[in-house]
Amino acid sequence: MSLEHWLKVWASLPVLLQGLSVNLALLGGLLSLGFFLGLVFAVLEVYGPKPLRLCAALYSWVFRSIPEILLLLLMWFGPAQFGVRIAPFTAAVLALGLRSSAYQAQIFRGALQAVPAGQMLAARALGLSKFQAVRHVLLPQALRLSLAGWGNEFAVVLKDTTLAYAVGVVEVMRQARYLGSREMPLTLPAYITVALLFLVLTYAGLFALGALEKRLRIPGLEARR
Amino acid sequence: MRTLGVAVAVALLGLAGLAAEKFIVGSDIAWPPFEWVSAKGNYLGFDLDVMRMIAVLEGYEIEIQDIAFDSIIPAVIAGKIDIGASGFTITAERAQVVDFSSPYWVSDQTVLVRADSGLNIITALLPGRKVGAQRGTTGAFWVEDNLIAQGVAVQLILYETYPEAIMDLLAGRIDAVIQDQAPSEQAVRQYPGKLLIAGIIKTYEEFGFLVAKGDPKGILPRIERGMKKLRETGAWDNLVAAYFGNPLDVIEAAWEACIPILTVERDPIRYAACLAAKVQELSQK
Repeated sequence: MSLEHWLKVWASLPVLLQGLSVNLALLGGLLSLGFFLGLVFAVLEVYGPKPLRLCAALYSWVFRSIPEILLLLLMWFGPAQFGVRIAPFTAAVLALGLRSSAYQAQIFRGALQAVPAGQMLAARALGLSKFQAVRHVLLPQALRLSLAGWGNEFAVVLKDTTLAYAVGVVEVMRQARYLGSREMPLTLPAYITVALLFLVLTYAGLFALGALEKRLRIPGLEARR
Repeated sequence: MRTLGVAVAVALLGLAGLAAEKFIVGSDIAWPPFEWVSAKGNYLGFDLDVMRMIAVLEGYEIEIQDIAFDSIIPAVIAGKIDIGASGFTITAERAQVVDFSSPYWVSDQTVLVRADSGLNIITALLPGRKVGAQRGTTGAFWVEDNLIAQGVAVQLILYETYPEAIMDLLAGRIDAVIQDQAPSEQAVRQYPGKLLIAGIIKTYEEFGFLVAKGDPKGILPRIERGMKKLRETGAWDNLVAAYFGNPLDVIEAAWEACIPILTVERDPIRYAACLAAKVQELSQK
């Protein structure tokens, strides 16, 4: 690991950053998918009728049980059996997004259940329907409560995007390997550079979420000292 | 009128899209000089250029997709990709699940050791030695079949990619790496004075391109015709001369200078001649 090798990795930084942009696109896709589905399943699991509640619990169980790498490979190979060719990127977003939705559903479920039961009663007493009560009274409070847990999920799935190389997505990890396979002494400097990039990204993301949490805090409410 | 024009243009584009057949070529693009990614991010290498040249000669399009080596055959079987071009040795086991082209390359395995280790091809493979290889490669199979199954209890350590095996060898965690000859020579060139080819195991392995069993899309005859044309015109020899035994940055510079002849002018024969001449010119500087 001489200086020369570090300089070469530095010169290849644009390539690594281009790979990182693929990770960010994956992250955007999987978090959006996970957020939307996670919310739906959380609401179903807490307020839905019994059969739907069971379905939601089953969903969470399945997608939290299967190892991610296996989920990725299944999503990539599976549809081809039925003549459907899914692009590597789409397969990765689907596999990682469905998995994240199961975890996010649990985060939102916990937050929904942390909102005092009196809120629902009060909302219903004011004439809101059950759906309206969830939509306008409970969810806004629950989302605020779920930010800390959600930040954790963000930090986890950000790193999970590097697994997508297993199904042929050319993301930052794959780009680092390209550098190493072209010129082997670059392998370690390239890996360390990628690690540093993720340190920065995770910090930036968690910082932004922390700021959001602070901004959404309601003075006097939920004060814990 | 304008909408009609647009509609016609769209229809024509659609027809053109149908007319140009497209096959997806899967390759583990981390194995120079057969396939690797240049400093500028281009996919190049002997296998990939042969695929590109045959596609031009036989009038179809290809899309090259980078996949982990041990996923390529499963992907071909599942129909995710159409052709595997990644320095695949033709073996009886693989031939049971996919169809191979005729051989296009013959390779032997080499035993790589650290230059200061003092090991030779015999002492590097004694019982108890840690021997590294890339997962799913014939180098790994050779160790399993000819050493471990014969009672020579070496410890086989498998790696996702070849460079990781080399890193571990340099770090002293393993004693030897078994790998095809051309990539081994590349490794020695990149670590001058640190690595040594302790010996060559004459396995006479033949490389082939592979497609799904039964060749449902009829690709193999076209690959065969293409290879025949390349050999008859001398383009094959030029490609071999360019890709083997030269530093990667020289090949990359030559490739960048010549590739428009293949991709724009669509002339594989002149492209190969350009590549060979340019590599020779640059390596003499």
